[in-house]
Amino acid sequence: MSNITHDHHDHRPSGWKRWAYSTNHKDIGTMYLVLSMFAAIIGGAASMLMRAELHEPGIQFITDPQFYNVLVTAHGFIMVFFVVMPALIGGFGNWFIPLMIGTPDMAFPRMNNVSFWLVAAALILLVIAGFIDGGAGTGWTVYPPLSSADYHPGMAVDFGILALHLAGASSILGAINFITTIINMRAPGMTFHRMPLFIWAMLLTAFLLLLAIPVLAGALTMLLTDRNFGTAFFAPDGGGDPVLWQHLFWFFGHPEVYIMILPAFGIISEIVSTFSKKPIFGYLGMAYAMTSIGVVGFVVWAHHMYTMGFNVETRAYFTLATMVIAVPTGIKIFSWLATMWGGSIKFDTPMLYSMGFIFLFVVGGVTGVTLANAGVDMAFHDTYFVVAHFHYVLSISALFSMYAGFYYWFGKMSGKRYPEWLGRLQFWVTFVGVNLLFFPQHFAGMAGMPRRIIDYPDAYAGWNMISSWGAYISAVGGILFFVVLYKTLTSNVKAEANEWGVGATTLEWTVDSPAPFHTHEVTPNIIPEPAE
Amino acid sequence: MELKKQKSTTRVGDGVVNMRKKSSRNGLTAVVLGFLVFSMIGLAYASEPLYRIFCQVTGYGGTTRIAVFDNKGLVAKNSITVRFDANVNKLLPWRFKPMQNKITLRPGEQAIAFYEATNVSDKPIVGTAVFNVAPFKVGEYFNKIECFCFTEQILLPGQTVQMPVTFFVDSSIAEDRNTKEVSTITLSYTFYASDDQSEVENLSRTSLEIKKSVDSLRRTQIIQPG
Repeated sequence: MSNITHDHHDHRPSGWKRWAYSTNHKDIGTMYLVLSMFAAIIGGAASMLMRAELHEPGIQFITDPQFYNVLVTAHGFIMVFFVVMPALIGGFGNWFIPLMIGTPDMAFPRMNNVSFWLVAAALILLVIAGFIDGGAGTGWTVYPPLSSADYHPGMAVDFGILALHLAGASSILGAINFITTIINMRAPGMTFHRMPLFIWAMLLTAFLLLLAIPVLAGALTMLLTDRNFGTAFFAPDGGGDPVLWQHLFWFFGHPEVYIMILPAFGIISEIVSTFSKKPIFGYLGMAYAMTSIGVVGFVVWAHHMYTMGFNVETRAYFTLATMVIAVPTGIKIFSWLATMWGGSIKFDTPMLYSMGFIFLFVVGGVTGVTLANAGVDMAFHDTYFVVAHFHYVLSISALFSMYAGFYYWFGKMSGKRYPEWLGRLQFWVTFVGVNLLFFPQHFAGMAGMPRRIIDYPDAYAGWNMISSWGAYISAVGGILFFVVLYKTLTSNVKAEANEWGVGATTLEWTVDSPAPFHTHEVTPNIIPEPAE
Repeated sequence: MELKKQKSTTRVGDGVVNMRKKSSRNGLTAVVLGFLVFSMIGLAYASEPLYRIFCQVTGYGGTTRIAVFDNKGLVAKNSITVRFDANVNKLLPWRFKPMQNKITLRPGEQAIAFYEATNVSDKPIVGTAVFNVAPFKVGEYFNKIECFCFTEQILLPGQTVQMPVTFFVDSSIAEDRNTKEVSTITLSYTFYASDDQSEVENLSRTSLEIKKSVDSLRRTQIIQPG
């Protein structure tokens, strides 16, 4: 056994300096997770306000429709940039990349610290953007002319742009750190084709970030100068074109949805393999399925803009390219199922959440193939069908992977074992809640209910009421999560170094729980298995 | 993963050397990745001219073509109505309108239309017009032979000009299965103040010189009779 204790040199700065000046990948990962939970409360509160407002037709208590738009915008930005990305990439990535590849820390620990504090500052700017000058009510897509100085004359959108600049800079620095670490610092013997799938996922995510975020940064800078310095990149009455914004935004925005879901693929692969007590089925196929999803993800962006007037050939291309993505995605679903097939499965909370993830992702994937058809999308564009689709495929899927990762790794992080029954209860409440919340939105959308509007005709009242009740149940699930967190941190049940048994074969289970402040100071040596 | 726990081998000395080698390799990796980031930002900015060129080449977004009239004797059977639209950027104090609402012609026939612009300010201003046609898909068939939008226009205070555009719709519009059902095309212009107002200065300098020469001419004329 290589459970080496490092207590004798486990010294660390104390008090606030430990956190503010931290260069330790575990502490930075923890800070990212805390930030994500904090942001989730804000973003979740925004969605609860929206669902409560939409509970019945008519305007209930949000008297200013612009405030509703601000809620839509804030919810989108906070969930994407400050909940999902910090948790999956900054949180689990920082914690487990070094542990899983057998290196003491990230390649650039100080840059890691900068990444975190940039995203913290960005969150503050974004919250300010919601409260000054009527708030930014542009939606997370920030389309001009709505986001131009004509329709959002105050400083709110500028604050939002700067918030995204900071969050983007943070992501780019983080991505450089991750890629450098994964390429250069793997334990001897861990070739690319022997890396855990979570590491594959993080490596690909980091590359997507590196290629997509700068495009957003460029587009945002153009928008900023359009708004404040008289340029006309997106203003048609100055020789510009708002469609250029849509192209640039979605050239970033489509890879962005894979940035949110690839880490989830990685986590789910680890958990399914661990709890089926089998190596993952079709390891190489899984790794290259993720790679091809990442590559093809860069050439399908215009399926978000079918209604802006493409000719039929262009729409045919984007329809085809989009549907091609269903192939590697199908390989992943198939491989997860094949991994479970014949395995002796243990239905602990992480596994429940992983299976929940697979179910939600399949539902979202099916509606995704539906929406990929340009002809169908003409009718569904900007309806609740789209809202249901993308919440299934990335929002609640990403949420389930975050919960799954939390239950899977929290023992390693805290050294405490979460109460299993409470975890399972939390899963079932959340599972029922989110499905009740989003499934009816398919029907509302097919009946033509438009997104991003504070009110709706009475005809949609039924589905909306069910959806709102689902939201309240999901919120109970969210509160239960914090109960689990509290119960675990205050419990006396110690987590073992490898609490999941024979299925858990990655390197993080070879160190103590909680993982000591310094780990893998002696590089683990992974000698290739003898050829079969 | 199938990573079996192995007996870890401790080689402290090697470790230090490896760390040093690794940190310089890390620096190199970071520089390469940083370069990638900056090239992507560059690409985002390059997309603006690239997008324009792409539109001009493919007729995307209703970008019209510039052509010499050559219908090869082909004229389509069904006529098409061309409607005219005019807009002005709110920062440009001009009035701008088409002098006819529509022209009906057959693809392959040449036509001329006029727009009228008035400078309602007390300053000379250089304006530029951007243009496109709707539906976007007919852009590649809409050919301009001569247009006021090809050059910048300068209007003196209070001056009104009538500006022609000569154009034809390519007769092959009727053979493309994507466009043959089109019966109405809207040609739209939007005038905005040019970034480059240097012509105004040239103009005022020229007008000053003209004034001077006229004055001196007058003076000569005054002198002559005397």
